[in-house]
Amino acid sequence: MSTLRNAVVVGGNRIPFARANGPYAMSSNLDMLTAALDGLVARFGLQDERIGEVAAGAVLKHSRDFNLTREAVLGSSLSPETPAYDVQQACATGLETVLSLSDKIKLGRIESAIAGGADSASDAPIVVSEGLRQAVLELNRAKTLQQKLRAVSKIRPRDVAPVAPGTNEPRTGLSMGEHQALTTAQWKITREAQDELALASHRNLAEAYERGFFDDLLTPYRGLTRDGNLRADTSLEKLASLKTVFGRQLGDRATMTAGNSTPLTDGASTVLLASEDWAASHDLPILARIVDGEAAAVDFVHGKDGLLMAPVFAVSRLLGRLGLTFEDFDYFEFHEAFAGTVLSHLAAWEDEEFCRERLGLDGALGKVDRAKLNVNGSSLAAGHPFAATGGRIVASLAKQLHERGEVNGRPARGLISVCAAGGLGVAAVLEAR
Amino acid sequence: MSAAPARGIETVELPEMPSLSRLYVGAAREAAKKLMKKGAMRAALPAARHHVIGVRPDLGKMTAYQSLLGETKLDIAPAGYLHALAFPAAMSVMAREDFPLPLLGMVHVRNKVEYRLPVLYPDLLEVTAWAEGLAGHRAGTQVGLVVEVRHAGNDDVAWRGVSTYLARGVFLPGLDKPSPAGPRGEFRAPLPTALWRLGSETGREYAAVSGDFNPIHLSSISARALGMRRSIAHGMYTASRALAEVGAQKGDAFAWDVTFEAPVFLPARVCLNIADSVDDHGAWERSNFAGWSPTSGRRHFVGSVGRL
Repeated sequence: MSTLRNAVVVGGNRIPFARANGPYAMSSNLDMLTAALDGLVARFGLQDERIGEVAAGAVLKHSRDFNLTREAVLGSSLSPETPAYDVQQACATGLETVLSLSDKIKLGRIESAIAGGADSASDAPIVVSEGLRQAVLELNRAKTLQQKLRAVSKIRPRDVAPVAPGTNEPRTGLSMGEHQALTTAQWKITREAQDELALASHRNLAEAYERGFFDDLLTPYRGLTRDGNLRADTSLEKLASLKTVFGRQLGDRATMTAGNSTPLTDGASTVLLASEDWAASHDLPILARIVDGEAAAVDFVHGKDGLLMAPVFAVSRLLGRLGLTFEDFDYFEFHEAFAGTVLSHLAAWEDEEFCRERLGLDGALGKVDRAKLNVNGSSLAAGHPFAATGGRIVASLAKQLHERGEVNGRPARGLISVCAAGGLGVAAVLEAR
Repeated sequence: MSAAPARGIETVELPEMPSLSRLYVGAAREAAKKLMKKGAMRAALPAARHHVIGVRPDLGKMTAYQSLLGETKLDIAPAGYLHALAFPAAMSVMAREDFPLPLLGMVHVRNKVEYRLPVLYPDLLEVTAWAEGLAGHRAGTQVGLVVEVRHAGNDDVAWRGVSTYLARGVFLPGLDKPSPAGPRGEFRAPLPTALWRLGSETGREYAAVSGDFNPIHLSSISARALGMRRSIAHGMYTASRALAEVGAQKGDAFAWDVTFEAPVFLPARVCLNIADSVDDHGAWERSNFAGWSPTSGRRHFVGSVGRL
């Protein structure tokens, strides 16, 4: 790896994240991704620039979004000769675009790249029922009038009702929240610990806004200048008053509320990546270096591991490869799908037996210093437009690392983890420049 | 038939696979007759095997079955589809005049399948069915219906199913009634690994792909006519769906066993737990499964899929 050149983060831009069915209700994935991209172009003077490659994606995708990223490029002021492609890895989409594009930069295939993602839970694709769809497809295949009539006659009144997408796992029928509720109970994570993590997320995000941290990371959109989900004035009392929404079958072991779970959110984010030469020749800043990344997956279908536990494995393998421990990091950016997710990961890494038997380590991986965790807030406060979360995290962490500079004579270092549907997880390491 | 029939057993060649709906209509008539002859029924099963040749999986029906049960649409016939395809031969045995139990109202209590050789959809098959194991039960009389599926011209059994039915409240002379079983171990629900949301159409949908139009599965009205408070899901629907969810790890040859307990009244939410176990080399050996009601906590079914 030492023979490869560096891939660096120049900067990022996102639109504020909005709660679903709010200010962005009428904006599509394409609208939001284009808006975020245009803000990035404006910030770094990329008008008419031919970027090496743009990769982005969306999790909730319309069939019309088949070439979403290329369409966003065509709708932006980037050179129309900029190639683009779509990525879809559920909630890890954004981080995966960063990692795959930085690999291309490291290999010398491209000099510059934009990674990103957008998701709208408001402008969600509504599909027709399976009965109607099959009948219409059969009608389409029918050649004779008789065949056509037979196809139409198969439509039943109940087939006319539209179907909205769910967040249920296809193989288990359990929603992501219900899956996490099982994991949260399994790792004995308390309601109080989850509410405290949620409170810290809101406080840290509010403080970051107060000190102007997001001024060069965000472009206002549709009247929003801050993330719509942020509750700067929330308190443990308020969070404690919320009803549990997931895992009700666990009875008094149910601990997950709307306050310690992320809401459905709309938004988009982008990150500008480059080789050091390209950044220098364009007179652009360098915030951080993309060191390495690792993807993992767990066998959650019959409950061997919890649905959202893959980051536990991704982080362990990544640290092993890099020869690093939690002590070597100054910032931890762990995506908060649910407070219980992050706390289950921390518990697993502190569990000697689990680390020995499942991670193949000699003992516990270690303890994460909570003072270094999500210091500028994370998804519980900002919201989580699935594919846009990776870009938000990478741009924020890169800026935070750059501000910190050196620690004990080495560059400040940050660790990212993102869990995703399908038992997926992706981790990455960044270093200050 | 390639397998030699046992001595004294008559082999009845059926011209084609019988239609279940016609058997049900016949069964209703037969039920009235048997009711009149009650007490005259001998505690003996028909000394006959029903044999059908020229049976072939129907691609359209197999596809519909795969869609409904969540099976990937591969060319290999799912074990539950073969049950649906071949079981009418067993039903025709139960519909015989000399079959000692009433066909309607029998309860499916257990189903065991061994799927030994893969059956692909264009394969030509032979089906043999007979009844065996007539036995007293504390709640009535139970009987096993055996179905064997072979590839045409091949002696080896590709698929073998034994479906155990209980005729509740029917006691035949000469059959010992076993003493009541001790209290069943209390079921404590494990954490679910999956959740099924079964609509009221579940019974009609499975009837459409399996051909099993028993009225107790079709609608509340038809179920009430037979003394049920609401329609119930086919046991084989729940067992087949659990089998599908065990997944590809089971390979092509496996044993599949399920015991049906409390019926699933529709609509329903059913919690499922599948627990996999591996052998010393870490290879899949077995998956135990159970389904229960998240509201009442009662277990609906319990079973396993294991390597053959």
